[in-house]
Amino acid sequence: MEYVSPEGLRIDGRRPMEMRKLQAEIGVVAKADGSAVFEMGNTKVIAAVYGPREVQNRSQQLNDQALVRCEYSMANFSTGDRMRKPKGDRRSTEISLVIRQTMEACILTQLMPRSQIDIYVQVLQADGGTRSACINAATLALADAGIPMRDFVTSCSAGYLNSTPLLDLNYVEDSAGGPDVTIGILPKLDKVTLLQMDAKLPLDLFENVMQLAAEGCKAIAEYIREVLSENTKQLEFRRGV
Amino acid sequence: MGTPNAVGDWSSEMEVSAFRRLFPLHYYERHLSESIRPDARPLKRARDTIVSLGAVASSDGSALAKIGSTTMLAAIKMEVMTPSVDLPDEGSIAVEFHMPPICSPVVRPGRPAEVAPVISKQLFDSLLSSGMIDLKELSLIKGKAAWMAYLDIYCLDADGALFDAALLSAVAAFSHLRIPVVSLNDEGRMVMVSKELEGEKLDKEPVDKERRKLSLKSIPFSLTCILHKNYILADPTFEEESIMETFITVVLNSSGQLVSLYKPGGPVLAHTSAIQECVALTRQRMKELEEIIDEAISTMEID
Repeated sequence: MEYVSPEGLRIDGRRPMEMRKLQAEIGVVAKADGSAVFEMGNTKVIAAVYGPREVQNRSQQLNDQALVRCEYSMANFSTGDRMRKPKGDRRSTEISLVIRQTMEACILTQLMPRSQIDIYVQVLQADGGTRSACINAATLALADAGIPMRDFVTSCSAGYLNSTPLLDLNYVEDSAGGPDVTIGILPKLDKVTLLQMDAKLPLDLFENVMQLAAEGCKAIAEYIREVLSENTKQLEFRRGV
Repeated sequence: MGTPNAVGDWSSEMEVSAFRRLFPLHYYERHLSESIRPDARPLKRARDTIVSLGAVASSDGSALAKIGSTTMLAAIKMEVMTPSVDLPDEGSIAVEFHMPPICSPVVRPGRPAEVAPVISKQLFDSLLSSGMIDLKELSLIKGKAAWMAYLDIYCLDADGALFDAALLSAVAAFSHLRIPVVSLNDEGRMVMVSKELEGEKLDKEPVDKERRKLSLKSIPFSLTCILHKNYILADPTFEEESIMETFITVVLNSSGQLVSLYKPGGPVLAHTSAIQECVALTRQRMKELEEIIDEAISTMEID
């Protein structure tokens, strides 16, 4: 199947280096300490952060830092066919672990010992790049909750089909069987915190694809910064500053 | 907590928010005696309600309903199945209500909320017994194929009156539902006709020519009220529900008939007059909700 037409357009009409439309909103769940909805094209994800709060299970309490927990789950209607087991399956457990470890790297856990921070992510619509959308949503939700962080974590995916590096794969391109690189970086510090890849890719091409994904991450970081500063302006406005 | 006098002394000394956390019942009773609630609502008024159809693009019918902060997302997916032997010309519905941990600080992963299966069952019973959906409309080929409608409702924010919001979102999702077009392929199996082929000539004739809607009669609407001493509070928030535990949920259908009445115990014993008042309040609320749903449907049809 042709994923990149001879004119250089992808299946959904994008250019190879073009990302899908981003849309984000924070403060969507009234009961949560911090929450955000993040959309990348048709992939829509909602994240809620509860914490820092008392540790639920005393035996897991850490005396010098905060405990970070994460749960990833997909809604039954999020994919094309209705899912039977959206939570306990291996893929969800793996992604929960990945998101937890990624966010743990950027939260200043030393400032909140003996407490617990819960990050819950729910996928409402899945069209490829759910892992990245979840990490971006979690970053926004943590910022909304006012939890101290070293830097944002932004994430993006990139692949290589029809001899072209492609940025931000959707579901069809992802299932094409080509390589899929997901990267999570701390944009200001320019450090990589998450890097995952499936399928085979020659090493010289890998550098290109990874660089492309990192560029995507930086663009997302710009957008996130805009959303947060807009939100702060709204808060100031409401306070009458 | 001490005598009312002692509490009264405290109330003049401490900040309002501290008093609210430490003596919630006294805080509320102070308001109720003036016939008002902390969010400035009169006792019988429900919160602002919003319904939006078509929230989930990948499903066959969906809706988002918000009552105050309580948010419910409902989506319906249709699948073909073989009807049961004793009801060969009827399809069926499966309802599942989920409370993911994002909705509330009291829901933890690994320990699902107690109320979720209760509300699931209540919803299923109300939807079926209200007669809103004629299961015969979900039949495709008698005895061989029928539709199974999977309704999944996700609570995205739990701030009281969960059943009301869930029922509203379910009703809205069913009014948005468009049944997909299917045809019988060579092996005798039902195959979805994809959107690209819908206009062209097909080898086998599809069972329906176009995506049809369900005809919904007698739509159910509900209202939950809290009973406390002599007061009746309509549409409680999460805080009100956790302090004053006795509640009653009344479900009426659009012809004004009583579909269901649910009062699961609780410390307050209600007179029949209180129950009749709740039914009257529900009747009023039903008119508001009917308007809201009709508006949502007409906005969607304009698009």
